[in-house]
Amino acid sequence: MSEFAVEASQLVKKFPARPGTGDKSEKTEGMPIPRRKPWQLFGKKEPQATFTAVDGVDIQIKRGEIFGLLGPNGAGKSTTIRMLCTLLEPTSGTARVNGFDIVKQANEVRRSLGTVLAGERSIYWKLSGRENLEYFAALYHIPAPVAKKRVEELIERMEIKDRANELVEKYSTGMRQRIAIAKALLARPPILLLDEPTLGLDPQAARNLRELIAQLKSEGHTILLTTHYMEEADQLSDRIGIIDTGKVIALDTPANLKAQIDQQEIIKLEVTGWQEYIGEKLRSISEVKSLMARQQGEADLWEVNLQSNNSRAVLPKIVEHIGQNGTRLVNMNIVKPSLEDVFIQLTGKALRD
Amino acid sequence: MNANSNSLAVRGFPSDLRAFWAVVRREWTVFVRYPSWIVSLLIWPVIFPMGYILTARALSGVDGSGLATFKTSTGLTEYVGYIAVGTMIWMWQNIVLWAVGYSLRNEQLRGTLESNWLSPTWRFSYLLGSSVPQMVSMLLLLAISGLEYVLLFGVKFNGSLWLTLLVILAAIPSVYGLGFAFASVVITVKEANAFVFLVRGIVMIFCGITYPLMLLPGWMQSVAQWLPQTYVIHAMRSAALSTEGFTGISHDLLMMTVFGIFWLAVGYILFVIMERRARQTGAIGQY
Repeated sequence: MSEFAVEASQLVKKFPARPGTGDKSEKTEGMPIPRRKPWQLFGKKEPQATFTAVDGVDIQIKRGEIFGLLGPNGAGKSTTIRMLCTLLEPTSGTARVNGFDIVKQANEVRRSLGTVLAGERSIYWKLSGRENLEYFAALYHIPAPVAKKRVEELIERMEIKDRANELVEKYSTGMRQRIAIAKALLARPPILLLDEPTLGLDPQAARNLRELIAQLKSEGHTILLTTHYMEEADQLSDRIGIIDTGKVIALDTPANLKAQIDQQEIIKLEVTGWQEYIGEKLRSISEVKSLMARQQGEADLWEVNLQSNNSRAVLPKIVEHIGQNGTRLVNMNIVKPSLEDVFIQLTGKALRD
Repeated sequence: MNANSNSLAVRGFPSDLRAFWAVVRREWTVFVRYPSWIVSLLIWPVIFPMGYILTARALSGVDGSGLATFKTSTGLTEYVGYIAVGTMIWMWQNIVLWAVGYSLRNEQLRGTLESNWLSPTWRFSYLLGSSVPQMVSMLLLLAISGLEYVLLFGVKFNGSLWLTLLVILAAIPSVYGLGFAFASVVITVKEANAFVFLVRGIVMIFCGITYPLMLLPGWMQSVAQWLPQTYVIHAMRSAALSTEGFTGISHDLLMMTVFGIFWLAVGYILFVIMERRARQTGAIGQY
């Protein structure tokens, strides 16, 4: 048995692009036949523009580790997971899950996986929590007496015993997410794929879920976790792959990734009356390595993050530039670099852009 | 505990069968938790044929003097039963096109199609399994319709109950095969309203739901021969309303079987093609 639970090599997924979008240079190779109008059926086929969602992803996930796939919305995280769990066929490249090829041995791959996609929408709201688990236990080919015991065990574990017979439509988002996770655990699969598992949860529910994920690792599960919450990836993952525009642009342990910019400090400013030209002026300061400004909610309050390896030298210059034309400095901190700062350094943009 | 060697899944035909039964139970449970189905089951069979029946009553004359012409062309005097059977079959096919045809699409809209697709269960069993409760509810609809026609319109079903059930059984493959074909196409194309309207319109005009086919021009009668519903309606009328017995429906049963095999095969092949296409284009997860 391979030491890797998941191995992907040069995985590519292209979709037909909507008119006016997509990579004009990339044509139909390996793509499904595009939909054509009836009168076009016998004519010469026009090459179709494509959109590349995943662009040559290579990852190897060791057995028993939590691997975090971190990236902004639209970076290719979910497409990668959907290929690994056999919902999507790759355009090119190969991947093996638990030693099985995701295209040629798709059913074996499905038997090896517990997957949480689309969270609360992945279960039936007109069934109770217990009915949902019993239903999915049958789909995962668990014999009835074993399934009954397993469902009870998971209901206890997820702390929903008192409400297990209520319809899911009456549950909170957190409870629905717990049912979705219980569903993934039913057949005790060796590998779990969790796509944004804490999305939409309140802080307490998200914290509980993170504890559960850590427990599942200690029980021997291999976990591939996608998230755009850097704290979550940092806290849970043994290794992290940072993905952007379909490419893995960095892959290492959280500590090593942060060490890449460890010599630098992050200056966090809160500013009102921000103007883009001030950003240009600050970027022109030689000690400033990168700058990211984003508005906080709807108020005229901006968070500005600067990376610099000499904050003492740069601070007076920053203050001088900001105190002009109605721009006002409200708050300022100098902090250690986080994973998001690594991401900014690598891509020039923030995770939640 | 080591998660790598601990799987609870057991392979084999019994597991596949239990998965299929789970789909049936799930679909039925969800279906009965939307109580509006009871209303449509009771009221729709009465309302739908009413317009046709009243038109026929007006045309046959208050004293029924026009019925002689009707008898010459159909061999029957029970014109209310004649219309009721035709409209019942049309309703059956129409509901199957909507309910079975949109069963996978509805799962897609709810977000549950992907979580079903993630399991190792044979994917066609989701379509087959979700059709069984629909079939049961349709048998219930046909039974309630028949009862209502007897009680409200005074229809006399002079035929055989067993032959009627045989016709229903023989009609199932073609009626549901067409539904499977629709369901498969709808996964990828997302909507098929126009096609449903077209098919049910064709059935309404060409298959003679309220009139004998001999009234149609020759070319329309030729088209009608290629539609399984033509044979279902004819056989149902013979079995339920006349005393012709098995000989009156034997040809229809043969044709229904041939069309049934054809449409089930088309439904399955389209499902395999469309499922593969959906995996390539990502359509399974799109709402």
